[in-house]
Amino acid sequence: MEKRDYKNMWVYIEHDGKKAEPVGLELCCEIRKVCDITGDKLYAVIIGDLAESEQTLVKNCGVDGIIYVSGTGYEYYNTDAYSNAFTVLSKKYNPSAIFVGATVNGRDFAPRTAVQLDTGCTSDAMQIEYDPKTGDLEFIEPAVGGKIMAVITFPKLRPQIGTHRPGTFKYAPVGAKENIEIIKEQIDFPVENIRCRHLSFAEYEFDPELEIADCDVIIGVGNGLSDEEQLPRYRELAKLLGGKIGCTRPLFDRDILPYKLQIGQSGVIIKPKLYISFGISGAVNHVAGITADTFIAVNNDPEAQIFNYCDYGIVGDMDEVCDRMIAEIKAKQ
Amino acid sequence: MLNILVCVKQVPDVDLVKMDPETGNLVREGVPTLTNPLDLNALEAAVQMKEKYGGELTVITMGPPMAESTLRECLAVGATKAAIVTGRPFGGADTLSTSYSIVKAADMLGKFDLIFCGKESVDGATGQMGSQLAERFDASQITGCLLIEEVNEEEGYIIAQREMETGAETVKATLPCLLTVEKQNYRGRIPNLKGKLASKKAAIETFTENNIDGLDLNKIGEPGSGTIVPRIYPPDLPEPGQIIDEGSTEKSVAKLMDMLAEKGAI
Ligand SMILES: Cc1cc2nc3c(=O)[nH]c(=O)nc-3n(C[C@H](O)[C@H](O)[C@H](O)COP(=O)(O)OP(=O)(O)OC[C@H]3O[C@@H](n4cnc5c(N)ncnc54)[C@H](O)[C@@H]3O)c2cc1C
Ligand SMILES: Nc1ncnc2c1ncn2[C@@H]1O[C@H](COP(=O)(O)O)[C@@H](O)[C@H]1O
Repeated sequence: MEKRDYKNMWVYIEHDGKKAEPVGLELCCEIRKVCDITGDKLYAVIIGDLAESEQTLVKNCGVDGIIYVSGTGYEYYNTDAYSNAFTVLSKKYNPSAIFVGATVNGRDFAPRTAVQLDTGCTSDAMQIEYDPKTGDLEFIEPAVGGKIMAVITFPKLRPQIGTHRPGTFKYAPVGAKENIEIIKEQIDFPVENIRCRHLSFAEYEFDPELEIADCDVIIGVGNGLSDEEQLPRYRELAKLLGGKIGCTRPLFDRDILPYKLQIGQSGVIIKPKLYISFGISGAVNHVAGITADTFIAVNNDPEAQIFNYCDYGIVGDMDEVCDRMIAEIKAKQ
Repeated sequence: MLNILVCVKQVPDVDLVKMDPETGNLVREGVPTLTNPLDLNALEAAVQMKEKYGGELTVITMGPPMAESTLRECLAVGATKAAIVTGRPFGGADTLSTSYSIVKAADMLGKFDLIFCGKESVDGATGQMGSQLAERFDASQITGCLLIEEVNEEEGYIIAQREMETGAETVKATLPCLLTVEKQNYRGRIPNLKGKLASKKAAIETFTENNIDGLDLNKIGEPGSGTIVPRIYPPDLPEPGQIIDEGSTEKSVAKLMDMLAEKGAI
């Protein structure tokens, strides 16, 4: 089959039966726009039973169709049944592209499906464009520590598979189409063939400090931080402003803050009203994950790239500036 | 006795890679390399399994000949054998063709019960290779492994915890199994003198496009890749924001806070 014979784009709707993961809806909204350009149809793929109200949310994203998969093997997420479902479906319908949210499980099965289908798989692209000359999608992402933007394409193979971080694309539903094609597929995966099985799940104690994706005020702490002892002042500032702290990758690498607080292309994507960065150089990998109404940067290097992304900047020592901010706020209280 | 494989990658220190402003090409010459840090956590998990259950521990890498130094680093902390897949035709590979090449070479080294990968590489950071290798090894997979609880070779299973968004999932998988390892519980170790000496002398098996059985040359390197990078460009830098400088930190911060308050931002 020629690559042009592969048609239509799919978005995987991950869910737990009650709720669809937001990233699936975000992807539907984005890929709707892509399909409007390419002329492909947009299908949502739902495996297992999902609450009716959540299906309505999916429909509202302007999908042309929904593929419902039922059968054995899907009760608990497992790599074998889920990767197989996409492989079987894809061989039957030959989609041009498959988009999967980069959740823990999405990242687990999508690359495996890609090998089963003998095609490529991209991860964490921040932008999706279309080249009508080649008929290829362009997956665009920062590379080499953000020094360059790399355009990634599938010149020969189909489907074009990509995993994308939650929050990369906007959830902006365009409304439901009048006629939505419904496809029902039964794909039984023998339960005894599941090689990695769920035994139990231990939920972590919920720590609101680690949930920053929807937070209005975020204090970003970077590698300029001299050591862990300096951290409490940033927590205090965040608290005074009603926000939380986040960080860059080096602070995770240095074991100062957990991965869940890493902001950026391969971490959490944030959209705060106010973002104040301290000791952050401004690598594209980091700033690509931020859309802030007001962006403040504090860095002691006047040449730091972060000043290109901020609305207001202060050149100075991060700890000193933080202390002054705390003092100013307290003085006004 | 377990037969264990660990996949390790040598990566450039990305902070030091520069882009040639004239040609737009990346300048990697003279850029120091390191062993992908998360691969050392994977290696540590593997070494612990070898210590607990006994067996062989092979490290494999695909990369230029200088990636041998990464293998020797691994030999110094507990790997017993090492292999490199190297040669021009393997260049320009994406994860589809890299996973193919590594598995083809690994097949020549025997059958593995456990295969370990880092959670992701610092340069590629796709974190895909593990799943793709697992498919090609026809193995089960446990990605984002936090802790290995038990390996039962006789009955052919492994029990381990996976790191999920909101908690830890315990799973039971059949052997062979591929794991990608989180760093929390498997901090790398410092080599001792004996390890260092042994690593210098150890033989490293070299695989090239000429000595891997049944290697399909169309499936390696750039031609075998599913994805390519047709172009790169410098990210556009927005116009700088307004720098507030009132002569002293104290005054600048006061001014900034006033401006933010006026804007309603705080
Ligand atoms: C594929 C890939 C994905 C990545 N994903 C992410 C991601 O999701 N998120 C992320 O953050 N990074 C990511 N990175 C890493 C990213 O490229 C940068 O290395 C990282 O963002 C740099 O963090 P930083 O600015 O804190 O550290 P640095 O670049 O080390 O900058 C520290 C800054 O602090 C300043 N400073 C030092 N001392 C002081 C002081 N006393 N007062 C004030 N300022 C001071 C310095 O001038 C410097 O500008 C990724 C990299 C790759 C290759
Ligand atoms: N060239 C390579 N040689 C050996 N192992 C690799 C190579 N590239 C990636 N890996 C393994 O796959 C993991 C994930 O890499 P990546 O998919 O690039 O993020 C790494 O941590 C390594 O364990």
